[in-house]
Amino acid sequence: MGNTGNTILELRLPSRLEAIAGLAEEVTAFLPDQPRVAFEINLCLDELLTNTISHGLGGAGDHFIDVRLERSDAWLEVVIKDDAPAFDPFAEVGPPDLDTDLEQRPIGGLGVHFVRTLVDVVGVSHEGGGNRVTLRKRLAGHAPAG
Amino acid sequence: MSLNTATEAIEGGQLLRVLGRLDSSTAPVLEKALLGLLEQDGARVLVDFAALGYVSSAGLRVVLMAAKQARLVKGRLVLCELQPHVADVFEMSGFTRILEIAESEAAGRARLVAP
Repeated sequence: MGNTGNTILELRLPSRLEAIAGLAEEVTAFLPDQPRVAFEINLCLDELLTNTISHGLGGAGDHFIDVRLERSDAWLEVVIKDDAPAFDPFAEVGPPDLDTDLEQRPIGGLGVHFVRTLVDVVGVSHEGGGNRVTLRKRLAGHAPAG
Repeated sequence: MSLNTATEAIEGGQLLRVLGRLDSSTAPVLEKALLGLLEQDGARVLVDFAALGYVSSAGLRVVLMAAKQARLVKGRLVLCELQPHVADVFEMSGFTRILEIAESEAAGRARLVAP
């Protein structure tokens, strides 16, 4: 990343679940030639933001969450910054057992599984307080280097 | 964006049409509508997702609760007309293996009346 010619979308969202649908429209408009990537990234954003708002912030609607998308030819990078207590969703939630039958199937745990499935790289840091989640997804037509 | 539902009586049970976006902010709408149809013994419900454009894990949670409820009352829950992005999410969750899913509304209606 960091090349000139990259396009950037930066948004500050109120910490309310109702704000996520509006974000999805902005992301779709930011990636007009990549509808499938837009859908997948929107699902990831929805799952992570829902976790932050419902659990990290305990439903408090008076915080803000910064979302930044940067797109190069080969990659899309997404950064989500919040001021909730430090939490790493990828370290603390194991993968769900997708083969469990209906009766035993636990409710929950799927959102993080979707994020892991749909992006190539996930990272979490807590520098300066809060949480900073970074997702990177390779765009179609660009094979991995090496 | 929001979520709307419409219910109609069909042969063998109830048809619930779901329109819009099913995420953490709208899941309670579906939860109320769908679980309300699965209270009586033997209740059978066909859910038509033809006009559902988006689902997240919060929406899947409601569908899973409804499937468990249907089993509890010895009824039946059938889903039909999943659009491509919605079908992908069901596939990724493994739910296609544990839920009854019909391709078309006609096939769903047939499953609802099947013994």
